[in-house]
Amino acid sequence: MGGLPANRTVNGFAVDPANPKVMYVATRDGLFKSTDAGERWTPAGKGLKNLAAVAVNPTRPAEVYTVTVDGQLYRSADGGATWARQR
Amino acid sequence: MPTFLRSLPAALTAVTLIAALPGSARAGQEHPGMGGGRFEHVHALALDAEARALWLGAHTGLFRSEDGGRSWQAVALPVTQSHVDIMAIGVDPNDPRAIYAATHEAGLFKTTDGGGTWKAINAGLGGPDVHGLAVDPAAPQKLHAAVRDKGEGIYRTADGGGRWTRVDDGPGGEVKVLTSVNLPTGMGGIWLYAGTAEGLQRNPDCF
Repeated sequence: MGGLPANRTVNGFAVDPANPKVMYVATRDGLFKSTDAGERWTPAGKGLKNLAAVAVNPTRPAEVYTVTVDGQLYRSADGGATWARQR
Repeated sequence: MPTFLRSLPAALTAVTLIAALPGSARAGQEHPGMGGGRFEHVHALALDAEARALWLGAHTGLFRSEDGGRSWQAVALPVTQSHVDIMAIGVDPNDPRAIYAATHEAGLFKTTDGGGTWKAINAGLGGPDVHGLAVDPAAPQKLHAAVRDKGEGIYRTADGGGRWTRVDDGPGGEVKVLTSVNLPTGMGGIWLYAGTAEGLQRNPDCF
């Protein structure tokens, strides 16, 4: 699966239910997105680290949430391109 | 039954040498009720079918937020333990009230009323430590569960957890997350993706 960091634990995984080829992977090294069912991956969102999980809003799939292992929640409204911390 | 993922083309597998990764940081408990201190170690995040609530699974239990994650309410499960470690959360894609929770200590639980009441759904499950739970997006009564240690393997149910059957040894490496993806395999089923300590792997599901 090209583009995912080698030798890294995948902590979280989520799929756009409207287009299941769109996928997100959460790792210690950040968030990665694929639009071809996991053949190729690109980093999504700068500065995100130590991620535990990721989730896609099934009613509005451009809205994505990710959470760090220690509980900081981030929201993206644009499919993972930009993120804001939820407070 | 084919062994999980062993027949994949190399390009689709992420099976690699396991680096000696340090353990994930665990937040302290010095700020109970605030962010990471309350959760200690997060494992899972999900939205229900209508995005009414965010659900979070952590070392300190199950939590629900109805304000986009700004505040969280602990959700009690019917367990004898003082707390349970929530490893995975599954949602029914057609019913926002139907949620599944997988625990480290006590197997699986299901609610059909949005979290007010829960029942254990462990018949046939080989052990209590469930690290992954996948709801079939096209047939939500079909689920897969990844069990660790005692009874280790992949289990499936076709009746929403009424009865589980062990179907596979599971992928190499500890399962962190298990997800059914509604993409045809070309062999009559869909794909089961597993995030593991050895990367992301996938296998045709077992139905």
